[in-house]
Amino acid sequence: MMSKAGAWPLALLWGLPLILSLAMLVPAVADGAAWLSLLAHPQLWPGLGLSLFTGAAAALLALALSLLLLAGLHGSAGWRWLEFASAAGLALPHLAFAIGFGFLIMPSGLLARLLAGGDAPPGWVSVQDPLGLSLTAALALKEVPFLVTAAFAALARGDRIRSLGLALRAAASLGHGKGSAWLRIMLPLLLHDLRWPLVIVFVYGATVVDMALVLGPTQPPTLAVVIWHALNDAAPEANRMGLAGTLLLTASLALVLAAAATLARLLRDAGRRALTAGPSRLRPPRRSAWLAGGLWLAVMASCLCLLLLLSAAPRWPYPALMPPVVNLQAWQTMAAAPAPLWLSLGLGLAASALAIALAVLWFETQPPSRDRWPMGLALLSLALPQLAIAGGQYRLFLDWGLAGTLPGLFLAHLTPVAAYVLIVLQGPYRAFDARYMAAARALSVAAPAAWARIKLPLLKAPLLTAAAIGFAVSIMQFVPAQLIAAGRFSTLPMEAVTLSSGGSRPLTAAFALALALPPLLGFLAAALLGRPRWR
Amino acid sequence: MALRITSVSILLGGKKLIRPFSLDIAAGETLTLMGASGAGKSTLLSFIAGDLDLPFTATGSVSLEGEALGALPPERRRIGRLFQDDLLFPHLTVGENLLFGMPRGPRAERLAKVDAALAEAGLDGFGDRPPHTLSGGQRARVALMRALAAKPRAMLLDEPFNKLDAELRQAMRDFVFRHIAMRRIPCLMVTHDVADVPQGGRVMLLRNGDVTDA
Repeated sequence: MMSKAGAWPLALLWGLPLILSLAMLVPAVADGAAWLSLLAHPQLWPGLGLSLFTGAAAALLALALSLLLLAGLHGSAGWRWLEFASAAGLALPHLAFAIGFGFLIMPSGLLARLLAGGDAPPGWVSVQDPLGLSLTAALALKEVPFLVTAAFAALARGDRIRSLGLALRAAASLGHGKGSAWLRIMLPLLLHDLRWPLVIVFVYGATVVDMALVLGPTQPPTLAVVIWHALNDAAPEANRMGLAGTLLLTASLALVLAAAATLARLLRDAGRRALTAGPSRLRPPRRSAWLAGGLWLAVMASCLCLLLLLSAAPRWPYPALMPPVVNLQAWQTMAAAPAPLWLSLGLGLAASALAIALAVLWFETQPPSRDRWPMGLALLSLALPQLAIAGGQYRLFLDWGLAGTLPGLFLAHLTPVAAYVLIVLQGPYRAFDARYMAAARALSVAAPAAWARIKLPLLKAPLLTAAAIGFAVSIMQFVPAQLIAAGRFSTLPMEAVTLSSGGSRPLTAAFALALALPPLLGFLAAALLGRPRWR
Repeated sequence: MALRITSVSILLGGKKLIRPFSLDIAAGETLTLMGASGAGKSTLLSFIAGDLDLPFTATGSVSLEGEALGALPPERRRIGRLFQDDLLFPHLTVGENLLFGMPRGPRAERLAKVDAALAEAGLDGFGDRPPHTLSGGQRARVALMRALAAKPRAMLLDEPFNKLDAELRQAMRDFVFRHIAMRRIPCLMVTHDVADVPQGGRVMLLRNGDVTDA
C-alpha cells in the first residue's frame, strides 16, 4: 500500500538526525581558531600520513587476498567453504579481533612462544609499531570477509551466476583457460562491483579508532586517534579542533579517492588491452588460494581460541604454550557487573528491530524509484568517516539535550544499524515477486494477512540476515557511543577498549569474547532460522 | 578434418540418458541432431566440448583430426560454440569481443582481422560499439564471427536460432552455414526445429535415449 506517511518514521528517526549531524560540521569549516590550533598540532601531519597509509594499505591487501580466494576457489569445493567462512568472519567484531590479534602477535604472544621460544619474550615491536603495520595487517585480515561477502552478493544478483557460468564456457570455447577466463570476465565485473565496498574499507581503515587504540602506533598515533582524544577532551576548544580535524581527514580521504579514481581511469586502456590480448592457458591459483585461505582461517580461529584461553588464565608465564592454571575468575568479575553487557545486548536488539521495522515500512509504502534517497544517504553514511558523523552527532545531541541520555545513545546506535539494514534488505525486498501477493489476494486473503502468511515467510532469510547484521553493527559501535554516552553509560566496546590499554588480560579477553559471541550467535541463529523449509 | 564420436553414452545418476552411439562428421559438413527438450542434446554438446557438469557422466571417446580429446580441457580442444544466447561479453566492445578469442599476435594484425570479420558480417564500423546497442540479429552475427575468429577446428551449435524472431532466422541460418562451409570445419548442431536443418544436410534423431538416422 503506497502512502507518503510511511516514509516519515524512517525520515524522522534516522534520516533527519543524520543530515542534521552532518550539517553541524558546516560551522567548523569557518572556525579559524580551531584550524589554527589543528595546524599547529605536532601530531597532525605524521598522524594523517599514518591514517592514509594504514587505510590504503589495508584496503589493497584485503582486496588482493579476497580476489585470490575468489579466483582460486571458484568452481571448486572451497567455494561454499569461502561463503560460510566469510559470513562467520563478518560477524566477528573488529575490536574483538584486534584484541585477539594483539595477543597473537605481541612479543609475549602465542606466535612468539611458538617461533622465538627462549626464556624471555623477544624484542619484537609487533604491536603498536610506529609504521602501523600490525594495525594494517589486522584491518586487512578483518576486511576480507566484508569484501568476499560483497563479491558473493554481487554475483548472486539477478541471473548473474547462470549468465557468468555460460560466459565462462563461451570463453573456454574461445581458447581461454579457467584462470584466464576468470581474469578477463569475472574480475572486471567484480572490480566494478567492489568499488564502493573498497571505498568503505579504505575510509573505515583510515578513520578507525577502537582498533587503532589497541594495535595502532602511539608516538604519533593515527590522525583518527588524535581527533578522538580532541573530541573527548573536556575543553570546548579541543572539541572544535577535533571537528576541524574530522573535516581535514574527510577532505584528505576524498582527495586520495579522487586520485585513485584518476589513476584507475589512466590505467583503463592498458587494462582493456590485457583483456583482449588473446587466449591464454592460465590456470586458476588453486594452491595459493587454499594456502592463503587456510592461513587466514587459522589466524581468525587462533584469535578466538586465544581469547578463550586467556579469559580463563589468571597467569600465563612466557614461554609456556598453555596456561598452568585455568579458572573462571575473569568471567565471574564480568558477571558481577553485567550492566555493559545488558546495555549492549539491549541496544543491539532494539536498534536492529527498529531498523528492520523502519526499512520494511519504507519498502512497503514507497515506490522503488524513491529508494535512491535513503540508499544514497545510507551509502554516504558508510563512506564518510565515522568520526565526522559522530562529531556532528555529538554537537547536535548536545544542543538537543540528548547527550548522556539513553534515547541519545539509542539513536547513535540506530544511525549505522539502519544504514546497513537498508543496504542489505533493499535488493531482496524489492526483488520479491509481487505476483505471490496478487495470487494470495485473489484467494480472498486480506493484505495484512497475505503479508504475514506469504511475504514474511518468503523473505524470512534476508530479514533475519539483515537483523543479524544490524545487531552485530550495533554491538561493535564505539566512537559514536562513547561520545554520546558522555561517561554516563558504558557498553561492551567501551569496556574492552579501556581494559586493553593495560587492564587485566583475562578480563580484557573475557570482554572481547563477550563482544564477539552475541554477533556470532546472531548470525548462526539467522542462518538456522532463515533456512527455507521448501528446498 | 573430421569430428569422430565413438561409442558415446551419457548417464544421469547411473541411468542412461543417451545410449552408446557413434558418428563421423566430415570437414565442412553440418550434421543436425534433433530431439525433444530434455532429451540430452545440449548435454552431449557439453561432453564434446569438455565441460560436462555433474550429475552427468559419460563414456566413450571423441576425436578431432585423429586426436583424442578426452584428456584435453575445453580451452585446448579448439571447438567453437554457439549457444541459445549470444553471450557477448557486456564489458567489452564488439571489436574487443572478437579479439577475445583471436590467437595472440601483433596487435595491428589482430585489429585488421577484426575489421575484416566485421565487414564480412556486414557490421562495418561497429567495432567500438558496446554489445547492448546492437540488434538481436547483429549480436548473433558477432557471436558467430567471435567463435570463428578463434580459429576453431570444429563447431557445436546449441539451438543458436532459437531466440531470434522469425524474420531473422532464415537470414542467420544462411549466414552461419555459409561461413562454416567456407572454413571447411565439421559442425554438429542440435535443435528441435526442423526448419533449422540446412538444405541437403544430414539429420539424426535423439529419441528415448537412442541416436538414429532420420
